[in-house]
Amino acid sequence: MKSKKHIINLVLGMSFATALFVVGCSSTENAAVAKSGAELWGENCVRCHNAPSPTAFGDIQWETIGQHMRIRANLTAVQTDKVVEFLKMAN
Amino acid sequence: MNKLLKVYLLLLTMFFISGTLFAQNEEDFDKEDPVEDLAKEVNTLKPGLSRFLMRGYAHAGIEFLKDNTTFVGGSFNPIFLWQQSKRLLFESELELELTQDGTELGLEYADMSYFINKYLTVRMGKFLLPYGTFGEKLHPRWINRLPSNPLGFTHEGQVGPMSDLGVEIRGAVYVTRNAWINYSLYVVNGPKLNDGVDEPEEGGQLHYNNYVDNNKAKSIGGRIGILPLYNSSLEIGLSGQFGKVGTSKTAYEDIGSQLYAIDLSYVTRLDFMKSMLDIKGQWNRVSVDQASYSDPENAGQNYTFENVSNAYYAQLSIKTAFVDNDFFNKLEFVGRYSKLELPSKAVWGGEDTQITVGINYWLDWRTVIKFAYQTLDSSGADDGHSSLTQGDAFLIHWSIGF
Ligand code: HEC
Repeated sequence: MKSKKHIINLVLGMSFATALFVVGCSSTENAAVAKSGAELWGENCVRCHNAPSPTAFGDIQWETIGQHMRIRANLTAVQTDKVVEFLKMAN
Repeated sequence: MNKLLKVYLLLLTMFFISGTLFAQNEEDFDKEDPVEDLAKEVNTLKPGLSRFLMRGYAHAGIEFLKDNTTFVGGSFNPIFLWQQSKRLLFESELELELTQDGTELGLEYADMSYFINKYLTVRMGKFLLPYGTFGEKLHPRWINRLPSNPLGFTHEGQVGPMSDLGVEIRGAVYVTRNAWINYSLYVVNGPKLNDGVDEPEEGGQLHYNNYVDNNKAKSIGGRIGILPLYNSSLEIGLSGQFGKVGTSKTAYEDIGSQLYAIDLSYVTRLDFMKSMLDIKGQWNRVSVDQASYSDPENAGQNYTFENVSNAYYAQLSIKTAFVDNDFFNKLEFVGRYSKLELPSKAVWGGEDTQITVGINYWLDWRTVIKFAYQTLDSSGADDGHSSLTQGDAFLIHWSIGF
């Protein structure tokens, strides 16, 4: 039982180490770079709640909400910036 | 002579100053330009870099329970966001709630975040823990598709924590062209073991809200979320949290806890049904090293048990959002199965199974009226946190996000 526990801990620990390592050498040519802000909004902003309409808030509010969601939803910087740009354009 | 020169210089200065002022007034008068004036006025309204946003959510409802029918709600949660710069955000949420003893004010979270770079954000304070997703990402009432929480996923944390005090790093990154991961790693005060000295009937339970820790050992935890599909529709998350939970300088000081959670989210458009499909699930497993506690049923004696608790739920909802009818495209159908297993040998142990089905009517993207029917099959797990564990119930809630 004890050793099983340690193995699970180890696996979890290693996943995090790998994650941090991957952060260091991630490729920049990814789907978020290729997709439009509208696409990223349609895909990401529906995963927890209904996607908010761009007209729900003004430009300045969207910037703060963007930061809030980047943290809450663990989004990448590129995803967040593109979605916020789209929301500011479409409102 | 010297004095005279000074008076002369003073008079000369006064003359020039008044002259310039006069000239300026004249100039202003000559050059009055409505566009420029307007531009100046608009300039005074420039938002600047510091921003403040107040949002939040509220709910109200009526619950038809086995023994009583009661209006509930009268609570609201204001959220305060202070954006200090492009890199710094402070977030905080309060909960104002009516209770038996009056109005209660709770601090849900209060933490600051600093975006160090594209991949790394550091957070400190009291924050919602990324232990699974329900507590951090799905519990607000305008987001939760049903009027009740799954069994064991209570506000204070029953099997697994909701929030804690500490420090965290988090971020997200693409690992292939289409697949990306998000991660968080944190150190917090961690749960506290109730050793049963004062409350023998609770010996062995974990308490999660520790504003002052009961020992020097901190709990370490984290979550990794994997989004393998090109449209980010699927996320699978693994979480863990480990740490000692006993109070220093007691027989329990070396007792440790191991908390694990697996979560899943799948949200996609079903074109053939003109609907959105949303599947969510989470399994929490909390285990505490074995110890002996005073036996409330046999005074003066101790007893011990395998201290492992599980809570899990699976939820499916279908929102007929793309149907060409103004009534039906606001409807959502939800079903959830949830189970709580507390250590069978503990005096607070037992098993509960809950099934909830509901229909939601969405007034807009963040305002919903939820109708739900809930059954409970209980073999004594003492939830003790909610009237909803009384048995079958019919619930109507109106939730609104701001
Ligand atoms: C992982 C889940 C998740 C995802 C994905 C997500 N949100 Fe949210 N969102 C939340 C939660 C949780 C809240 C409620 C915040 C709270 O109660 O603390 C929220 C609140 C909001 C609010 C209300 C204002 C606020 O800041 O609290 C807006 C607007 C919003 N989200 C927009 C978005 C947009 C735009 C996206 C897409 C980029 C998005 N959300 C993606 C979980 C999510």
